[in-house]
Amino acid sequence: MIPDFDQQGKAETTAWQPEVNVPAILLENVSKSYGRIFALSNITLALNGGVTGILGMNGAGKSTLFNILMGKLKPSQGSVKLFGTDPWKNPAPYVRVGYVPEHEKMYDWMTSYEFVSTFARLNGLTRAEAGVEAERVLEFVGLSDVAHKKIGQYSKGMRQRAKIAHALVNDPELIILDEPLQGCDPLARTTIMNVIRELGRQGRTVLVSSHILQEIERITEQIVILHHGRLLALGNLHAIRERLDQIPHRISIQTPTPKQLAKDVIDIDEVYGISFPDGQNISIQTHNLAAIHSQLPRIIVENGHTVTAIDNPDDDLASILGYLTGGGGK
Amino acid sequence: MATKPDSVYRGMDRKAAAIVEFTLRQYRTKNSTWVVLGVGFTALALIFMIYIAAMTDVVEAVDNDGDSYDYDNDGYPTGQEVRLGTDPFDGSSHPGLFDPPVVPDPASMYVNEDGFDWDLSASGPTATMGFDDDGDCLDENRTASQKDQNDNGIPCDILLVYYQSVLTSGGDWEVLADNGVDEDPDENEYAQEAIHVAFVLSIGKLGFVLLLGIFLPLFMATGLIRDEMSSGTMHFLIAKPISRTEIFLYRVLGYLGIVWPYIIALGLLGALITGFLGPSDGFFRFQDLGVWLSIIFATMLATLVYGMLFNALGVLWKYGIILAIPFAAWELGMALLSMGAPETTLLRFSVIGWALMIIDSAAMFVWPNLDLFIAMGNWGGNGDGGWLGDSSLEGSNALAFAASKPGLGLSAFWSLTVSSLVLLFQAVMLWFIGGALFKGKEIQ
Repeated sequence: MIPDFDQQGKAETTAWQPEVNVPAILLENVSKSYGRIFALSNITLALNGGVTGILGMNGAGKSTLFNILMGKLKPSQGSVKLFGTDPWKNPAPYVRVGYVPEHEKMYDWMTSYEFVSTFARLNGLTRAEAGVEAERVLEFVGLSDVAHKKIGQYSKGMRQRAKIAHALVNDPELIILDEPLQGCDPLARTTIMNVIRELGRQGRTVLVSSHILQEIERITEQIVILHHGRLLALGNLHAIRERLDQIPHRISIQTPTPKQLAKDVIDIDEVYGISFPDGQNISIQTHNLAAIHSQLPRIIVENGHTVTAIDNPDDDLASILGYLTGGGGK
Repeated sequence: MATKPDSVYRGMDRKAAAIVEFTLRQYRTKNSTWVVLGVGFTALALIFMIYIAAMTDVVEAVDNDGDSYDYDNDGYPTGQEVRLGTDPFDGSSHPGLFDPPVVPDPASMYVNEDGFDWDLSASGPTATMGFDDDGDCLDENRTASQKDQNDNGIPCDILLVYYQSVLTSGGDWEVLADNGVDEDPDENEYAQEAIHVAFVLSIGKLGFVLLLGIFLPLFMATGLIRDEMSSGTMHFLIAKPISRTEIFLYRVLGYLGIVWPYIIALGLLGALITGFLGPSDGFFRFQDLGVWLSIIFATMLATLVYGMLFNALGVLWKYGIILAIPFAAWELGMALLSMGAPETTLLRFSVIGWALMIIDSAAMFVWPNLDLFIAMGNWGGNGDGGWLGDSSLEGSNALAFAASKPGLGLSAFWSLTVSSLVLLFQAVMLWFIGGALFKGKEIQ
């Protein structure tokens, strides 16, 4: 309740001293319910260091989890600690946290330099300090050349990078990114993924949420899968992947010449079956999706096929979740 | 983080200044800001036009005692015939028959010929004043009792008796005048002064404190937190190591950063217009500046308190403006009540009651004789039984409506101090309430 008159980021009467030797994030039996509906159910989780992907369908509880971590929601049960401190009604731990919200709305009338430096001052920097810091982080996310353009003129990917830059100003130890890749074009995706990987390499704790498996896969191997508010799986993606490879995948290709394409594709070793659902599509069955995806473009180009769409109906989170929940998963 | 020792400036240059600047720049980008400020300016400009029209309009001179008429058609106005002792109702009796004959006076000499000779600084319980300029009371043909109808032993004077009200801190002057004293005042002179003062007070109270004081925060402060929450940009603010109570305060400071200069500018504009156009011996009514300063000050405090309140209502509920409207209606009622019965206890539970007290206190400083001036205008020269019926002068009713005494019964200085402190206290309390609401708010 006592306001921070000396502007140094304290929220209590005494300066906040982070506890030593505690994980960046520690959740114990955390639940969040709205009436009888559980948005999060009994989550226990400790994270420290490295990049962790939070995977889950829309509505799985990813944002609820992040909102609890950012002190925006009060958990119905359990305890939440950021660096050993409960963030509810206490912004002190955010000295060491950077947060990238998923909301698309930004201050379009600001330049990214103004945006980043204004919010840097909320970390207790003076105007001059914030300016230096803003230039540093904008350089880091690769926005230096457009730093003085209005955010309203930015592409989706540039906006996301501006949001990431604003979260990095205080050199945070913990960075939370809510769906940072959503809606970005492939080039922006790659840039943002590189930025996130680089943050992980610097030894920070990074949390990235997504509902697209392939995105997370390219960033990190350490994943947490949320499903209907429950912690479904936690650990190395490869271990989970190996099991997934046992189930067949389909790749559906739309082309005006399905028969000819099938003839070329059947040469790939990993393909074990091809079917023709209609005159415009072929459907390839495989156990090794990655191998197909690495060879398919070459075959299409070399043989001069016209392809209008490629789709992996099975290689999405839904089918993995289906496997994990219904099949022999956890 | 900070390598140099922190000065106050460096301290404020961090979070507080960042949010204040940010809020100001955000206002600048919103069309609604310019619409609200523009509408406020237009509304006040219209009121000022009415004032300018009233000031340039000359109130027609009225012959209150009827002595400019020539009832017997002998060419001599009644006043001249009375003064010279001929019969005003008999055409065969007039000063033209004198030796040598007297030339008839023009009728206009007997209009407004006996103005107020009052000492307005008089204080109760009784005072005597007035002088019979035209000699119709001091006429040697009248008996001593005719000259002293108010029985105070002084011929041809006006006796003022002050009655302290039992219920309120105020009171009323009763005017007991001998016939023919100050009975034909200059209507235009009185009306100009009364309308000017009434205008300054009522535009200050209704135009500035009520209209601007509620209208600006209603449209500009309600969304300070709420708009950020509904658009999703609040997430940027609350993810930083800054207490929400502080965010609440600094957003309000940013809002004041645009509203206060606006109020000051409009107030000074009002001071200039009324200062130059108002009736005055010099070229400018410097004495009114004190009242205008109090109007500016009261409006600033009102926008501070309402800003805190409406911002808190916006935090409380997405449609906080709906909660603000009944409150605004309550304050409108309180404003009118304050102008009619400033001592009502109910007013202590409003914001505007205290804000208007600031203006009333300043008016008490600047125009200490306002109640006697109103009594003078209500009496208007002939008291009850004047031959034109209601004898009150134009402007006195408006002035009586606009002016009121500070309701606490304290001196001007203490009324000013107490009401300012109460408003500041209200603002701080609303800050704490709003901050606590915001702090406990779950944000999706």
